Amino acid sequence: MAVNEIVRMHEDLQRALKKPVEKRSWGMVIDVRRCVGDHACTVACMAENVCPPGTSYRWVFESEYKNYPELDRFFMPGNCQHCDNPPCMKAANSHRKGAIVKRPDGIVVFNYDRLAGSSSARRAAKKACPYYAIVDDNGGYYTEDTPKLEPYETRVFYEYDRKLSRKKTKGTIRKCHFCVHRLESGMLPACVSTCIGRAMYFGDLSDPGSLVSELVKKEKVWRLKEAEGTKPRVYYIGFKDRTNIAVSTSATCQVCHQ
Amino acid sequence: MAERNKSCKIAEMLGSIPSKEVTRRGLLKTGALLGGSALIMGKVERAMNMLATAEAATPGGYPLARAENVIYSVCLQCHTACPIKVKILDGVAVKIDGNPYSAQNMIPNLKQDTSPWVASKIDAKVCPKGQAGIQSLYDPYRIVRVLKRKGPRGSNRWEVIPFDQAIDEIVNGGYLFRHLGENRYVPGLKDIYKLRDSKLSKAMAKDAKAVAKGKMSVSDFKKKYRDHLDVLIDPDHPDLGPVNNQLVLQYGRIEHGRKELAKRWLGGSFCSVNFYEHTTICEQSHHIAYNEATRQYSKGKWGKGKHHMKPDALNSEFIIFFGTGFVEANFGPPPMCEKITEGLQTGRLKIAVVDPRMSKSAAKAWKWLPIKPGTDAALALAMIRWIIENKRYDERYLRAANKAAAKAIGEYTWSNSTHLVRIEPDGPGKLLRASEIGIGGDQFVVVKDGKPVAVGKEPVTGDLDYSGTIKGIKVKTAFTILKEEAFSRSLSEWSDICGIPENDIIDVAREFTSHGKKVGAEMYRGPVQHTNGYYNGQAIIALNILVGNIDHKGGMTTGGGHWHEMGNKLKRPFNLKKMHPGKLHKFGHKLTREKSRYEESTLFDGYPAKRPWYPFSGNIYQEIIPSAADGYPYPIKALWIHKGTPGLATPAGQTALKILANPDIIPLVFATDIVIGDTTMYADYIFPDTAVWERWGTPHTTPDVAQKASKVRQPTITPLTEVVTVYGEKQHCSMEAVMLAIGERLNLPGCGKNGFGDGLDFTTREDWFLKLIANLAWGDRKGQEVPDASRSEMKLFMEARRHMAKTAFDPARWEKAAGKENWRKVIYLLNRGGRWEDWSEKFEREGVVHKYKKGMNLYAETVAMQKHSMAGKRFSGIAIYEPAKDAAGRVIDDREFPLQLITYKDILGGQSRTLPNNYWMSAILPENYILINAETAAEMGLKDGDKAKLVSPTNRDGLWELPNRANKPMVGRIKAVEGMRPGVVAVSWHFGHWGYGASDTEIDGQVIKGDRRRATGLCPNAAMRIDPVLKNACMTDPIGASSSFYDTRVKLVKV
Repeated sequence: MAVNEIVRMHEDLQRALKKPVEKRSWGMVIDVRRCVGDHACTVACMAENVCPPGTSYRWVFESEYKNYPELDRFFMPGNCQHCDNPPCMKAANSHRKGAIVKRPDGIVVFNYDRLAGSSSARRAAKKACPYYAIVDDNGGYYTEDTPKLEPYETRVFYEYDRKLSRKKTKGTIRKCHFCVHRLESGMLPACVSTCIGRAMYFGDLSDPGSLVSELVKKEKVWRLKEAEGTKPRVYYIGFKDRTNIAVSTSATCQVCHQ
Repeated sequence: MAERNKSCKIAEMLGSIPSKEVTRRGLLKTGALLGGSALIMGKVERAMNMLATAEAATPGGYPLARAENVIYSVCLQCHTACPIKVKILDGVAVKIDGNPYSAQNMIPNLKQDTSPWVASKIDAKVCPKGQAGIQSLYDPYRIVRVLKRKGPRGSNRWEVIPFDQAIDEIVNGGYLFRHLGENRYVPGLKDIYKLRDSKLSKAMAKDAKAVAKGKMSVSDFKKKYRDHLDVLIDPDHPDLGPVNNQLVLQYGRIEHGRKELAKRWLGGSFCSVNFYEHTTICEQSHHIAYNEATRQYSKGKWGKGKHHMKPDALNSEFIIFFGTGFVEANFGPPPMCEKITEGLQTGRLKIAVVDPRMSKSAAKAWKWLPIKPGTDAALALAMIRWIIENKRYDERYLRAANKAAAKAIGEYTWSNSTHLVRIEPDGPGKLLRASEIGIGGDQFVVVKDGKPVAVGKEPVTGDLDYSGTIKGIKVKTAFTILKEEAFSRSLSEWSDICGIPENDIIDVAREFTSHGKKVGAEMYRGPVQHTNGYYNGQAIIALNILVGNIDHKGGMTTGGGHWHEMGNKLKRPFNLKKMHPGKLHKFGHKLTREKSRYEESTLFDGYPAKRPWYPFSGNIYQEIIPSAADGYPYPIKALWIHKGTPGLATPAGQTALKILANPDIIPLVFATDIVIGDTTMYADYIFPDTAVWERWGTPHTTPDVAQKASKVRQPTITPLTEVVTVYGEKQHCSMEAVMLAIGERLNLPGCGKNGFGDGLDFTTREDWFLKLIANLAWGDRKGQEVPDASRSEMKLFMEARRHMAKTAFDPARWEKAAGKENWRKVIYLLNRGGRWEDWSEKFEREGVVHKYKKGMNLYAETVAMQKHSMAGKRFSGIAIYEPAKDAAGRVIDDREFPLQLITYKDILGGQSRTLPNNYWMSAILPENYILINAETAAEMGLKDGDKAKLVSPTNRDGLWELPNRANKPMVGRIKAVEGMRPGVVAVSWHFGHWGYGASDTEIDGQVIKGDRRRATGLCPNAAMRIDPVLKNACMTDPIGASSSFYDTRVKLVKV
């Protein structure tokens, strides 16, 4: 515990930022054993990215398994997996070229203008994503029908090097972008910084000295729906069994996945 | 497997909010009154339009990464009060993260001397409530101008009046509501502020105390003060104090900094004793249990103790959580969580969670113990029985009878386990003193090898288990008394009481005694918000004493503590307790009869007393309004409710509303609040307060944090409240401005010109808070001062506040308030949001670096010697199990109601604030549920999603009675789960509002529509049992004074 993992990841980040973008390989590791289902990440994401009302780029699923008093209770967080073979990209781009692109550092980028202009591209992308990762921006604000439309909703925000406002993102689809605006300013993604159980890790997978590389190497990692060939950049560690947190049990995954 | 599809529901909810949630209600927009000024609104929109056209990548990178857009402050979405980093964009606070300088939010924390330009890029963790603070700050239902009621109390009809008019009215009184047909003279504060003479107050205070103790007769008192009897509430009972006591301040939440200010104002300036926080509706009996366990005996008196310990979770190997956890509530998730998840994941730590509900903490537990609510002492005593039977306690530790003996064996603390207790016909009584058996003076006594020994300064060890007669006095050791209590029932009998199988009891007892000192028995609200709460707490503390884990790495700790903002250690630069010219000396019993003994009052008239007296506890929130209604010990004239909602948050809160709604009982009720709350709706006047992120404070740190820390809350934006003029200075309406304005009208001592002494004015809030911060900057001892801010840091300080108006940030005025010689140190602190002890190798090695180093009381003599003020029988000095009892001490039996009601906090909500008004969080959890075991639900013909009414012995209609408004049905949605003990129902807090923006408000004839999202869910409090003796309040723990939240039996009626 003497090593502050946040500071360590910041140092990893500084090293990565010194390299040209095509030499970076961003990746996320989520240690499910340490997720406590508190939604700090969900709300951090809503605030950081001014997500449309009722949405977040992140989810934390919750489930009970078995019966009283022997049950377990699980929390399962996630976000856009930034697949190296992104099904959304293939699907959307067949309707509108360049709607979704893959950056050399691994980040899957939504081109909001192109997506806004093609409902079929939006529909196709959403349908193709097996991870619940994409949300609609239908406009609207949490406070629009209250005595005051509040400034935290109408403010500018930053995604993919762009300065945006909700007026600009209305009518498009949106998703996690690994907080690339923060990364490029030397900051970790908002969900990673704020995780109170320290279940979230982020860094450069091409740097063997980074914490994420270390975890991927050391731990028994797995990825969501690997069989679909999507090649996600989000790695998971473990699944918690209440009686022995250090042991992964694939049986518990059957709760959600047949 | 019934839960299989739950995750998909959540996904749907997060993926796209159902359109019915954002119905177009076509509400009236009243920017000028609620939710800030039209001016701010216009500015933002103009800025937005400009930005919409220019949207290229920002030169210089992401603005929120830059230090000049960051102000550090402290959250208060819950009392954990996390240090935060508030990020400002175009003058708007847009994002909140944890402060990386704070060990509460990052371990190891950044070193104090880290440059703010580095720290700005490193966000530490904070919970979802902390992040959603943005939505409490910019709440469209915030009030920004002063409101006066324009209908009966609770009608929620208001008019806007000028601040000065409102202050004049509450100060001068008069026929304030004649225009509403209320022909009642309302006494003003000037009529209550009777005792105004400092010298007289000091003399009267002393003599009134003597009268209470029977050392001076009432007639002598009356003779001595014959010219001043008009200042007393009742000259025949001088111990009730002056009329000034008839102004009562009731705080839902007030923190250090503001708390000291409010106490100074009410006590020293206004001369009223009636200052209250909310603690007894939170977890007071836990504090009182710790206090009694840690009081030190010196010079014939028991002094003050410590109120709180926590496990050193970073190093613990086993923690048993009683009725709490580390993910939701407690004190609190950001500091505790990572230490525990790290321990679980690496295999260092195992935890057990005692809770009828499978909480998020229990989800991570090696053992979940779904206990019957209110039987925690039975479980703890069962564990104690097994531990004693199997000799698993630390005998060496327990035998050390004093400090020297502890030191000799390498311990930091010791206990009174071996001290002898006199056994009286009605049970264990006083601790034996050496003088009673002729072997010394006032020392306690142990028996060593069969011979009595006085416990002096030299090392003394005693026999642990002893029972006998010495010089004709029957005695037992404290340990023996505990042992006999634990052995009074078999394991299987204890198991029947608490509902935990014997095997589980043995397993946790074994685990608890298998890791040496690296264990903790931790508790918070769950075990203590019962009528037997104090004893439950005491039994849990006894577990810790038995293994002697206090001050040990991985054991229990009082935490790193803080530097002292009142300047009372170093005595400079501002020794604030002494800086009160003309200070008045408050005196008299408090309205709640707390910290007073019935036997030491002129009201003593045998047992039972009219209402209970509470000599051990304080801040007895649930007793304030009902006591005023009964006029016992005296009626009150004015109630100031600050950021609180006794009518919602208190068990059986509807009883308080009924009293508040009647102006004949309390003629003047005024409030300071940021919204029209569920209770402040029943006030005559509401003054808008500054929100957490607009104000000052010096909150203290949870003992969970090993390092010393002094947190500083400071304004991050210009407050949205109106600008008022007090003592000729423009400032924003706030609690402080109201205090100063009253001070100005009544010429209160300690306010205004030279309020702190010659040349030191008190005319704005900064005059107070910047002095506190200057004190922190200099520390508690010589040589502890922080460095001066560098020139570039001075510049940064100014730049980061460039968006603030002069009414909110006036550097010249601030410098004057802080003192020129302190100013640069103050800036150094403000640039870091406080001062922070660095992490060092010492913490790594020792865990608990700041130690308690004092004695622990297994046996509480003070408690044992006090009689129950109603039943007239002595309390127990040792932990016992007893069932739920009413105010008269009779066992409550509501067996015909099949279910027991408990509450809990979701991580997304506080008790009465945050959810559902923070829309980010209510998007995740739009309403709460009646959680019930699936099998129990099926037996009752209820299924998941059904709606049901909560009915109890004292709320048979299942209605929340709201005087002068429509009643609210106590209806909630059933959630049938596996993770609940059968026979128990749990309803979380946060929901079930009628105020707080949930219903329509009329202001100056305009209707502001309520927000349906804010009216969802159920608050279960009105179902909670009304005490059958008191009849206008909930049940209460007679020792710790916690209100009873979990002793009510209920029925569910499908609707």
